[in-house]
Amino acid sequence: MTPSITARDAERALRTALSRGGEWAELYWERHHVVALTFDDGKLEDAVTGLDQGAGIRIEVGDQQRFANSNVADADDLMTLAGRAAAGITDAVPGTSFESLRQEEVPRTHAVAIDPRTVPIERKVGLLRRVNELARAGGAKVHQVTAQYRESVQEIVVANSEGRFRTDTRVRLVLSVLVTAKDGDVLESGYEAIAGTLGFEMLSDEAVVAAAETATRRALLNVAAEPAPAGTYTVVLSSEAGGTLIHESVGHGLEADLNLKGMSVYSGRLGQKVASELITVVDDGTDPGRRGTAAIDDEGARTNRTVLIENGVLKTYLSDRKHAKKLNIPESGNGRRESFRSLPICRMTNTMILPGTSDPAAILASVPDGIFVKKMGGGQVDVVSGNFAFEITECYRIRDGKLAEPLRGATLVGQGPKLMSEIDMVGTDLGYSVGTCGKDGQSAPVADAQPTLRIPSVVVGGKVKGTAA
Amino acid sequence: MSERLKNDAAVEHAVEALRGLRGTIGEVFFRGSHSTSVEVKDGAIENVLAHGERGIGVRVIDGQRVGFAYTSALSSEGVRACVDAAHAMSRVAEVEPDLQIATDSPPVVELGIHEDGERSVEDRAAVAVEVERVARAVDPRISGFRKTTFSDSGTTTIFATTLGAWGRYRESSSGVGTAAIATQGEERQIGGHGEASRTFSGVSAERVGRRAAEQAVGKLGARPFPTQRIAVVLDPWQGMQLVGAIGTLFNADSVLKGKSLFKGRIGERVASARVSVIDDARKPAGLRTAPFDGEGTPTRRRELIVDGTLQGYLTSLKTARKLGTEPTGNARRGSYAMPSRISPSNLHIANGAEDASAMVAGLDRALRITSLLNLHTIDPISGEFSLGAAGDYLERGVKQYAVQGITIAGNLVALLSSISGVGNDLTFGGGGIGSPTLVISELSVGGT
Repeated sequence: MTPSITARDAERALRTALSRGGEWAELYWERHHVVALTFDDGKLEDAVTGLDQGAGIRIEVGDQQRFANSNVADADDLMTLAGRAAAGITDAVPGTSFESLRQEEVPRTHAVAIDPRTVPIERKVGLLRRVNELARAGGAKVHQVTAQYRESVQEIVVANSEGRFRTDTRVRLVLSVLVTAKDGDVLESGYEAIAGTLGFEMLSDEAVVAAAETATRRALLNVAAEPAPAGTYTVVLSSEAGGTLIHESVGHGLEADLNLKGMSVYSGRLGQKVASELITVVDDGTDPGRRGTAAIDDEGARTNRTVLIENGVLKTYLSDRKHAKKLNIPESGNGRRESFRSLPICRMTNTMILPGTSDPAAILASVPDGIFVKKMGGGQVDVVSGNFAFEITECYRIRDGKLAEPLRGATLVGQGPKLMSEIDMVGTDLGYSVGTCGKDGQSAPVADAQPTLRIPSVVVGGKVKGTAA
Repeated sequence: MSERLKNDAAVEHAVEALRGLRGTIGEVFFRGSHSTSVEVKDGAIENVLAHGERGIGVRVIDGQRVGFAYTSALSSEGVRACVDAAHAMSRVAEVEPDLQIATDSPPVVELGIHEDGERSVEDRAAVAVEVERVARAVDPRISGFRKTTFSDSGTTTIFATTLGAWGRYRESSSGVGTAAIATQGEERQIGGHGEASRTFSGVSAERVGRRAAEQAVGKLGARPFPTQRIAVVLDPWQGMQLVGAIGTLFNADSVLKGKSLFKGRIGERVASARVSVIDDARKPAGLRTAPFDGEGTPTRRRELIVDGTLQGYLTSLKTARKLGTEPTGNARRGSYAMPSRISPSNLHIANGAEDASAMVAGLDRALRITSLLNLHTIDPISGEFSLGAAGDYLERGVKQYAVQGITIAGNLVALLSSISGVGNDLTFGGGGIGSPTLVISELSVGGT
């Protein structure tokens, strides 16, 4: 699909933006189509579709950024917006150099086979109906089923006064299943989602069935599980658990904006050992079809595979244009924004710990008493202290190197660099999870991955026996 | 696309287009806003952001099926396309006999939620700069700030239905927030605080800077903490996190679907007798105050829990009809792009009788929570939570040392029952939520 603003429109807007001064200007234009369907309580509860279109114009004036954004319908709106962005500039020198825009195609690492916009809505509703039936077939303890389908087609144009004019179309789909199981007074849930930067072909019948069955199995397992204990344990994180750990404990701390301000536990540590030598961490915005994948970032820079930590040594940070310059590191293509309403910030795409050399089965067998984490949920980190917490949505006690009883309601807490230096076994396998990351009030689609890992000693949050609350 | 429609014209266009569909009724929700944010860093302006936004969300009811669509392309073609898209979505929806739309216009009421006023970027920046100045003056160990932001906004909401309801209101808000960093040797800790008000003068740089700095400095020297059960103190700002988490328990939609632990418990004891919970959509100048909700229902003040006993739920038109009760005006709209969702307005735990400091000083040993991680993982259905935390270990109300790397776990409903103290220091936060200081008699703390 051709963008509805041309390089000529963009160039006019950028020239207006710089008319009162400023060293650099950028236009970000976006058209975002969404379909969101929610199947709940046995029926289609919500059917929403929408179109969001707007632009943001950013001007650099010395160390300041001036940014104006609004919905735009046409080129006239764009010019008005450029005027508003420039309006605040009074004390700078006009006449900045300006490169004519050159349209450039950026190759994609994957192609969308079936554009979801071409698929009849009835088929999308049909998927949710099928998920609901599959989950409810799980038995009398299945209490509620919520299934959601979300399609997002985001067309963007990024142009700047250095002559950049690049476009991207990101087709992203999510199918999620939340099953609640009830046994007496105990209510517990199981969740599973499939998501990617892919077309409707992603939602094969096998994938849909697997998601429904996994969420159901997890809910039934949790409702029958013992409450997790509280205390310090040896923990094995299965590759199936997904990568929330790497995202929270390391990833956020490697974002360049936090490091420039000396605010991360990783600030000023380039070239130093920050993790066990078994640990290599990569962020890969080019990983075909993954949820965090795109051809370009939201400043128009090509996405990359960036090695952040190699055998325990910190190599670089995740950067956007501004922070790459200030830290004098290569621009990694990690300037992302939620929409035209926000300034880009440094953030992850698909972040992973690369596989190691230990047999995953041998890692489990090596633990006489501990906790096996099969699936992680959401997490959060305080990047200044490095303290993080994440939710565990499926886990088991390990006794004599074997899986024993399931446990529910557990959380892992720790400090990023400390935990990363203590990991003493890294498996040969690799498992992915998908999520939506929040930072500074903006959300972004991401994926995370990790091999099976052993952590000798970490705090597990659960209940202390005999407690009332 | 051309011919931009003014706010009222966009709504009128949509209502006309809805009337043109045969055999349907419909609802239009318009929201237009403009805001300015100024981010400062170490006394200098770093970013200036100006935001403008206008859009409509349209609900079409065809027979007993509802469809929803939104657009920010407010030309006559864009509005018509949005109405058609909503109509198309209604065809896949299922029959829902309890659907309704408003027939009466909500009355106009003065709630003190709007202030006219222009101010310069410099005036806005000055508030943020003052926050940083105050924070640095609190303690020399305050070494910097992640970001300090002042924002203000003005918003217009217009609501109309094909059955003749029409309503409109304007609101404004100003807010400032910071995250201060405290440094001591190799250790760094962060402390954040933010407040908002309907008026520019209602924002206090002094309070924000002071609390952020005290939070950051207070965490320095934090130690590990042994696993145990212990009394827990939540100051009003931490108490708000608890109040925010219990909001969904009152949601009639969750109740009807068996997803709330308060289902079937009206008239029963669900919390400690010291606890009363109020949702007041008419609180003068409240941050969630509004004259009517996203379905045009007039809002009101509601007592949800009185002395520990559950009184009622928060409802929409549809859920009220299903429950055989009155709609409470809690079908709120997050934006024009989102259908109405049941949510609280200015939800708070009512002020208690006890002096907060005296109450805390009466505890032999207690953990005062200073920050919580992973609040978004609280399971609203089971009420179970297990969160990362940091805090201060107290003896007789006196801080002994800061602790970090701990977890707290429990169940929201059990927690409400184990509230053994409610202070007389009710405070409202940036999200319109309020709480006094709370004492939880005992909670599981995971650590070493």
